[in-house]
Amino acid sequence: MIRYTVLGGYLGAGKTTLLNYILKHNDGIRFALLINDFGDINIDSALIESEDEQQINLANGCVCCNLSDGFFAALETLRTTVPPPQHIIVEASGVANVHNLGQYGLTRDLELAGIVVLADAETIQAKADDKYVAQTIRRQLIAADLIVLNKTDLVDEDKVADLASWIGTFNTCPVIATTKSKVPLPILLDMTANDHKELSDPSHAHYASWKYESEAACTDQDIHRFIDSLGEEVIRCKGLLKTETGSTEVQVVGTRHETTRRAIEIERSQLIAIGLAHDFSAARLDALAQQHLARAQNP
Amino acid sequence: MTIKVFAAKKILTMNPANPVCTHVAVQDGLILGAGTLDEVAGWGEYELDETFTNLVIIPGFVEAHAHIMAAGILQLPYVGFFDRKLADGSTAPGIKSYPALIEKLKTEEAKLEDPTAPLVAAGFDPIYFPDEPRLTRAHLDQVSTTRAIYLHHASGHLATANTAMLERNGVTRDLQIEGLGRSADGDLDGELREPPAMGTCRDAMRIVHFANSTESALRDFGAMARNVGITTCTDLAGQSILVPKMLSMWKEVTAEEGYPLRIAQYNIPAIPGAQADFDAVAEQFLELQRKATEKLRFPGAKFVLDGSIQGFSALIKPPSYYRGVDHGQLLTVPDQFLDWLRPFHKRGLNVHMHCNGNLTQDLAIDTVEKVLREDPWLDHRHTITHAQLTTQAQLRKMAKLGLCANFFSNHLWYWGDQHYAVTVGPERANALEPCASAIREGVPFSVHSDAGVTPLGSLHTMWCAVNRLTPSGRVLGEIEKISPYEALKAVTINAAYQMHLDDEIGSIEAGKKADFAILKEDPLAVDPLHIKDIEVWGSVLIGRKHPAPWSK
Repeated sequence: MIRYTVLGGYLGAGKTTLLNYILKHNDGIRFALLINDFGDINIDSALIESEDEQQINLANGCVCCNLSDGFFAALETLRTTVPPPQHIIVEASGVANVHNLGQYGLTRDLELAGIVVLADAETIQAKADDKYVAQTIRRQLIAADLIVLNKTDLVDEDKVADLASWIGTFNTCPVIATTKSKVPLPILLDMTANDHKELSDPSHAHYASWKYESEAACTDQDIHRFIDSLGEEVIRCKGLLKTETGSTEVQVVGTRHETTRRAIEIERSQLIAIGLAHDFSAARLDALAQQHLARAQNP
Repeated sequence: MTIKVFAAKKILTMNPANPVCTHVAVQDGLILGAGTLDEVAGWGEYELDETFTNLVIIPGFVEAHAHIMAAGILQLPYVGFFDRKLADGSTAPGIKSYPALIEKLKTEEAKLEDPTAPLVAAGFDPIYFPDEPRLTRAHLDQVSTTRAIYLHHASGHLATANTAMLERNGVTRDLQIEGLGRSADGDLDGELREPPAMGTCRDAMRIVHFANSTESALRDFGAMARNVGITTCTDLAGQSILVPKMLSMWKEVTAEEGYPLRIAQYNIPAIPGAQADFDAVAEQFLELQRKATEKLRFPGAKFVLDGSIQGFSALIKPPSYYRGVDHGQLLTVPDQFLDWLRPFHKRGLNVHMHCNGNLTQDLAIDTVEKVLREDPWLDHRHTITHAQLTTQAQLRKMAKLGLCANFFSNHLWYWGDQHYAVTVGPERANALEPCASAIREGVPFSVHSDAGVTPLGSLHTMWCAVNRLTPSGRVLGEIEKISPYEALKAVTINAAYQMHLDDEIGSIEAGKKADFAILKEDPLAVDPLHIKDIEVWGSVLIGRKHPAPWSK
């Protein structure tokens, strides 16, 4: 399955900056970017293996595709590439219906990882009342699984808190406040072995992570109870959980979660979660895991 | 070259100084003069062509908003409810029942030699079968259980697939994508709603998309236009900028002497939402204009700002939609539009802006005002196309700014009842396509079919603007009716004006192209209700006769 993320947000919200951030910091994931225009993307020319009007291939296996042949065609090209990308990130236009774009992630071979919407802290409220784009902006906020409140350095601290609660009137998904579109990559892409390295970067000081390991087997019902009990303090969670019949993969991005049964047998369950340091409680997650996932051990 | 004089029962010239005559002299595709035989005989020795002595000659119709899709979709087997005129002059009969649909599909299935080739048919619309259960894959499985079958509906927003088509594309009940039709127990019924779900049947979608880019579609487009007397037709979402490889085929085909149509292609500068360098793109448009030929022109650029009223995706000013849910979809970022428009305006490129809703129309009007303050251009003739819900205030402002309107008059007939009862309500339905107000306020306007959204045919678009009738018999806004003469202006000289082509085409007078529509009756003399039923002989393009198949 190819993970599929929609990156939305109005003009100036920081989507391109985020894409550039991903291009610069990605380590080991073979991703594909579906973007409107190559013009604003910074690609280190040393990394470019080949390029034409539609596609730029990078030495690390990543590709950037533009949408000149249309969205459907670009997605088809990526899906049938050998080997296919592990993750497709779509840069939505500023007025796109991100919910509808997300639907493509539910088609064959793709798995919708999440709809991430960026909001410019300085302008989002005015745009949500704008004559032309009010409805578009509100619809984007409502459709998001995760909202990145960007450019928070341009407003004062009280305003950031106000904005977070104002966003809460549209959507109760997690809201990450940040500047310069900086978001830890494990939140957007896959979580790999280097996640702790990533999160130990001082620029990510306000994130916290939690890790769970157990030899206990659980049921799919247990897993769903556990996921449902997670609040918005968990921004991202991933793991492979041991079940009586094999294993189940868990992927959580904001309010979107996906569980997939895997045929592989594993000895121990492993789960990792990331949240914002100020409201993240490893103890609470331990307790929830004990309650829902380790019942076999603690009858 | 010899002078040819066409004699007609009557010639309507649309030249105010010489409105009606009987003879027109033509040399090298240009009109030498129109008048009596005595008057035009003064040009010298001539050959008299009496083909049209019992017919009426008018300027060739100019359709300022149509698409190659009109012919593209007919490359697929047609299974629509209404009879449909095909390019070869034959009629594809309407499909009035499910058994007839299944029979027709069986016939088409039998024609396919490759057993793995999917069968894709188009034009079906469930709206005309209110007493039948919804069409499902079970119906299509009666055609074949092994051949993959896909019905592309008339709206373009729905499709129905048979079981073999779903299986071939791995579409199973586990897929969570929205828009997969399901029975009560969650099983897939084969209906696919909206592009993400329709796209799950990928090979079928490819066939639908490909139909527009074939050479036979381009040939049929010319034939369909000729059959209704259109001599210049837009392709108003052209692909030559986005898909340059298409251009050489279009140039070759249209250059053939027998190709019966002049195409004015307005290219889409970029896919909706793109952040391209629009200065560079506008330069490409100038480059394209330098490649224009007699029958393939590139007058300007097309921008798409919103969706459609009947799809609830047009952006309408508050209080927005009357009934139903507002799905208003911007296709242009408002804060970018000035930066997009400026490079075209600055270079003297004419721009046609698709606004079905009047909220996006405000954006278009305001943005044109801004570029005009920066770069005065009194004769831009930028046009708001569709402009269906144009308000009186917008008309006043458009007149001041020199903006033109191209009204979608066919909507009055095809969706008028729905607009009255559902989408915009009685008051605004009566004000749709305000042609009479545009005359009063001094906004130059045309009327169009948006073919293939509705069928190509300027007599029909005229008839709609003149009579404003709906299928239920309602007259929408008596006050906005216009005279047949004003309607004929709209589909000839006014349409040419919006594309800066009115010095070449759009009327019959000395020095202009010898482009004529040949009719059996005078559209200004018949009962206005009969205008759409006037028979067309065919056309004359640059002096050459192009009879419709039934006139040969």
